[in-house]
Amino acid sequence: MSGSNPPAIVVSDDLKTWARGITRTVLRTPFTRRTWSELWFFGVGAVVAALGFAFVGLTMVAGVALAVTFFGLALIGLSLRGARRIGRMQRWLARRLIGEAIEEPDPFAGRAGFLGWLQSTLRDRTAWRAVAYVVVKVPLTLAGILVAFSVWFDAFTCLLTPFSGSDQPAVFGLPRVFVPSGVLRPFRGGPHGLEIFLTGVVLFFIAPWAVRVVISVDRLLMRALLTPDPVTVRVRSLEHARAQTVDASAATLRRIERDLHDGTQAQLVALAMRLGMAKEKLEDTDNVDLDQVRELVNSAHRSAKETIVELRDLARGIHPPALDTGLEGALATLAARNTIPTGLTVSLSDRPTPAIEAIAYFCVAELLANVAQHANASQASISCAQHGRWLRLVVRDDGVGGAQPSDVGSSSSGLSGLTDRVHAVDGRLDVVSPLRGPTVVTVDLPMHA
Amino acid sequence: MTGTIRVAIAEDSAILRDGLVQLLVDRGFVVTDAVSDAAALRRSVEQDCPDVAVVDIRMPPTFTDEGLRAAIDLRRRHRGLGILLFSQYVETRYAAQLLADDAAGIGYLLKDRVADVSDFVEALRRVASGGTALDPEVVTQLLGASRRTDSMSVLSTREKEVLSLMAEGRSNAAIASALVVSEGAVEKHVANIFTKLALPVSQSDHRRVLAVLRFLDS
Repeated sequence: MSGSNPPAIVVSDDLKTWARGITRTVLRTPFTRRTWSELWFFGVGAVVAALGFAFVGLTMVAGVALAVTFFGLALIGLSLRGARRIGRMQRWLARRLIGEAIEEPDPFAGRAGFLGWLQSTLRDRTAWRAVAYVVVKVPLTLAGILVAFSVWFDAFTCLLTPFSGSDQPAVFGLPRVFVPSGVLRPFRGGPHGLEIFLTGVVLFFIAPWAVRVVISVDRLLMRALLTPDPVTVRVRSLEHARAQTVDASAATLRRIERDLHDGTQAQLVALAMRLGMAKEKLEDTDNVDLDQVRELVNSAHRSAKETIVELRDLARGIHPPALDTGLEGALATLAARNTIPTGLTVSLSDRPTPAIEAIAYFCVAELLANVAQHANASQASISCAQHGRWLRLVVRDDGVGGAQPSDVGSSSSGLSGLTDRVHAVDGRLDVVSPLRGPTVVTVDLPMHA
Repeated sequence: MTGTIRVAIAEDSAILRDGLVQLLVDRGFVVTDAVSDAAALRRSVEQDCPDVAVVDIRMPPTFTDEGLRAAIDLRRRHRGLGILLFSQYVETRYAAQLLADDAAGIGYLLKDRVADVSDFVEALRRVASGGTALDPEVVTQLLGASRRTDSMSVLSTREKEVLSLMAEGRSNAAIASALVVSEGAVEKHVANIFTKLALPVSQSDHRRVLAVLRFLDS
């Protein structure tokens, strides 16, 4: 049974280490910078909360009472502007004292004129959320004083009582509930003073944790109410996505125009020119150089065929005809056309909307082109599967890896261009590409955009 | 103009550039150089001193109007160099910029015009010998955009046709053959137009173009 002993020893070693760690932490904590910063944050925060509540409460109540007049509305507006400032101050305190970096909401953007200012102030969601914070902060602060600040206060009271000449520590708050009343009974210079002193020592080591608990609640509160308004954030991200979509479609149109201008149109002009030359040579009936005419017609013919190919490629770039029969067929075409062996698995129970199919198609086309150009891979695979309301595309290759979302391709056609396209429909694009590979790009798209 | 005409070509589409070279050589022009961007055109004109340059407006690197800017610049440095701008679009603004000081030796044609080889070659000869060649499309746009429609309503239909051809830079003889009338009849129409629109009478074709364009633009 020698095998069962070592684990028991290991466990007890672990326990010892653990207990030692706990003890060390408890003993050190009251002397850390963090502890005192938190206490300071609590104290300053309590003052800010009291003043803020007084200001917001008075202006709000007066404003609501006078709401039928403009003056009342202006008071509410003033109250909201004040709440916003209190929120900003609170975020600053949190950042400086407890290292809680809370994202700054957009600055207030008032419209012109008093009425415009009033309207945008009353609709300022950030300010209303700050009011909610100011209101909720008051009970939190009161609770904090009773359960956390009191521990510090009582710790020092108990530590100092034996030396201060008073005969009973004046404790309040949580310790008064939990410390056995026998300990806190009056004494007159007897050995009982040691008990009080030791109680002070215990409280001294507990106090940082009590404050920390209260501050954790405050952190949650700040994250919920003092961060940028979720609705505003959503609107901003939609605006961003829309701008990108507009830019992307403008860029696409420009590219198509350029392709038509430099390719097809130039080809057709050259073609017409050759035919024009041939026509004029044929009109000179006395002296027709048939060889020359034949050469001209030949090159015009060649030019016409090249133009047809160019137009077909161009049209396919705008909307791949293969997509008309569904994503599976289109992806199969892409896989078959790829220069390295490419496997394909598709499991779709519904058909995504056409816009999603197009994005999926162009993503895979671009990713396969990247694989062919940069990855130096010997094989690739495409998987396309439906997960409820999401479509997941995975393109994998066994190449050299090291692909970065920013450095593959140009901004309009490379990975970052794809990312923009995917974000525009609230999708996600993830690239995992360690050096020496393999590279796996995962694209998640909603089935219906 | 006596002797062969020496032409420099600046066109970024290789297929069109080769075609132009083939066409012009076939028609007895000497092609001094065929380049694909404005900077190369500047060097080429400096070195070979051609009589006329055929310049694509949209060329690398920005694909906007570098051909036009190079043309304006070249005109300033090389008096007597004819410029035939060559474009797939008509931008009346470009024509106005180029014709700002003088219409002598200036042409502005749509690329499609090379399909009618003889007309194109004729226009190029005209520009090389200090004449003017404006695309009918440019003239139509100028006529359409002109705020002088009320004063133009005094012209007869035939006179309006003559005015358009005149604005393209054609001579009386060319106008006569285009409209299938005698040169004398054209002269009469031209005189009528100038009287009705109160334009200063001018002998040379390109001064006539300028007068008409200024009238339309004013």
